[in-house]
Amino acid sequence: MNCFVGIDLGSTTTKAVVLDERGETLGRGITNSRSNYDLAAELARTEAFVSARFALLEREVAQAAGPAVLARLLKAFRLEQTLAQLARLRARIEEEGARAVPQDRRAPLSRTLASVFEKMLSEEEERFDDPAPCERSDFFRDAAGSAFARIARDLADPRGISFELLAGLYDKCIVKVENEPLELGFREHIGRALERVGDRSLEVAVDRAVEAPLEVAASVGTGYGRARLPFPKEQIRSEILCHGLGAHALFPGTRTVLDIGGQDTKAIQVDPQGIVTSFQMNDRCAAGCGRYLGYIADEMNMGLHELAPLALSSRRPVRITSTCTVFAGAELRERLSLGEKREDILAGLHRAVILRALSLLARSGGIEDEFTFTGGVARNAAAVSALRALVAENYGQRRLNISPDSIYTGALGAALFARRAAA
Amino acid sequence: MTLTAGIDVGTASVKVVVMRVAGQEETVLSRASGRIRRRSVSSVVDETFESAVSAAGLPAIDYVATTGEGEDTPIATGHFYGMTTHARGALHFEPRARAVLDVGALHARAVAMDGRGRVTGYKMTSQCASGSGQFLENIARYLGVSQEEIGSLSLSSTSPEPVSSICAVLAETDVINMVSRGIATPDILRGIHESMAGRFARLLQSIGAEGVVFVSGGLAADDGLFRALSEALEHGRPDRRNLAAGTSGPVKSPALELARHPLSAYAGAIGAALWGAFRHARLGMGGAAWTATLKTKDQKSAGHNRVPRSP
Repeated sequence: MNCFVGIDLGSTTTKAVVLDERGETLGRGITNSRSNYDLAAELARTEAFVSARFALLEREVAQAAGPAVLARLLKAFRLEQTLAQLARLRARIEEEGARAVPQDRRAPLSRTLASVFEKMLSEEEERFDDPAPCERSDFFRDAAGSAFARIARDLADPRGISFELLAGLYDKCIVKVENEPLELGFREHIGRALERVGDRSLEVAVDRAVEAPLEVAASVGTGYGRARLPFPKEQIRSEILCHGLGAHALFPGTRTVLDIGGQDTKAIQVDPQGIVTSFQMNDRCAAGCGRYLGYIADEMNMGLHELAPLALSSRRPVRITSTCTVFAGAELRERLSLGEKREDILAGLHRAVILRALSLLARSGGIEDEFTFTGGVARNAAAVSALRALVAENYGQRRLNISPDSIYTGALGAALFARRAAA
Repeated sequence: MTLTAGIDVGTASVKVVVMRVAGQEETVLSRASGRIRRRSVSSVVDETFESAVSAAGLPAIDYVATTGEGEDTPIATGHFYGMTTHARGALHFEPRARAVLDVGALHARAVAMDGRGRVTGYKMTSQCASGSGQFLENIARYLGVSQEEIGSLSLSSTSPEPVSSICAVLAETDVINMVSRGIATPDILRGIHESMAGRFARLLQSIGAEGVVFVSGGLAADDGLFRALSEALEHGRPDRRNLAAGTSGPVKSPALELARHPLSAYAGAIGAALWGAFRHARLGMGGAAWTATLKTKDQKSAGHNRVPRSP
């Protein structure tokens, strides 16, 4: 089967979408961006093809095997991927540790590392058996990092192998591990995942999914790092065009698109065919985009995904007066020291992000019906609620579209351009 | 003779000086500074003040002056605005100075003044932390160098990487990009210093600075920034008045000369202390604002934290 690939290389995450011949989405993949752009793009593509092959498998056996078995197979597959990454991480940390400490401390270090990794592995196995595991980051770097830090803190000995030494080794090695290629594809890990699930009835279908010929007929790249993708120039499109077309594909009635990504915010007006008629973008300033919330999360020592639930619990949002992200961080500290509630300040900060976006929207030509909100920040419920309130206040009734897959909008647009180019 | 203390409460640190002023003679007896980090500002002020006065070893101080964000410090006799104290502090170090460029943790500001320290013009960067001390601190962290190394690394640059003004937060990805393009750390730092210098030169231009410009604030100690700024100002700048008068050709106003001092970071505190001494003498105030017999803590519990003075 011919397929079409779109890659959106963002500042924070890299997304890939695979379309089938009819232009239907077959698979999506995401990974965190890193200094090696080629590798980030390759990994996102690998992930998208993993999800595409799972989709093929589902088309074939969903009725026979049922969704529960497939979900368990996917979970087992993720576990196998994680185990492969952990093995690589462990090897790198052991190498680096042997170099970093004097001879007499090598044995205690390697003992401590062995217990840390044993614990990490057993936690992964427990997670697999847990029917409702707690939420965690989708990215190996973050998920493994927080587990490593937590376990290392328990096992470290301030007089022997200190936490600082272990954390230093992790920081040094995770960058290396992230930037060297590792086979994480469907073919490499589905076999062991199937063994783990122990359902032999799926074997034939899995083999067919592995062997299904998915030929990439065309690829298009977009996003912040698009100029550095290993694609010829005619296979690169601007983010604005891709987001416009992607939003149109998700919601054909779209006339205005707001995309709030990691480091820029775009307000786009599109015509009934999804072609961009005007747009505005923020100019090299973190105020009003995803990084603003990331910076605030760091300031508050919270995870990014913890911000929205707390902000939504606010009853009296404060008015944030700073524009600049750094100043907002200072304002946050000051307000906390004055005894204001964390949820009230956070609600104010979310509102501030949306206010910046609204001024871009106004400059791009306002908000027409329907209005589609995309990008990573569209997954933040507090930002969405602030947007709803402010849009209703300023523009009246507008239909607000948000797709759960809105983070893939740019990649979807790129894949649609790839399909057009091939036609 | 007047004994005074100046307390400069900045956004990142507190600077305190104790001075003796006798006629034209202005002597710094002791100084101390404390980083605020995430502590309460008032405890850092108390701590830094105590360490400065105990180093001075004086039995009493006539006037305690605050500046910056120290307006509600209980031990203070009086408060002075940042622009006036930086102007006065600059004249203490460099009597020829007619402008100050104060580069602090979150803001940069330019002040124009006359020979007596009277402020004649003032402008501050606002809305954005690009080019501030915090900005440079972030960049150093992304590059994995210590703040002390920034200056010398920047000076060793051979081909500075041009950067436009960049957001203090988004700089992280910009810096990662530059590193992954193989640009050396000194060239990145020098490029950033040049971009900051350009911004500060425009700030000085906007207040009509002339002659000697004194650089105060924590970033005055950054040799790389100082060099970049000297070069930016040496080239002179187009003079709007001459252009308006229709003079042909590229007319440039006289270049600005830069000055600084190893204690530049204390310029605000010194200016506050000197204005305090001036006010003390002017008003013929008697008594002491602070005495060693009463510890700061006791003074606080005593209510207004000031020793009653004779009328």
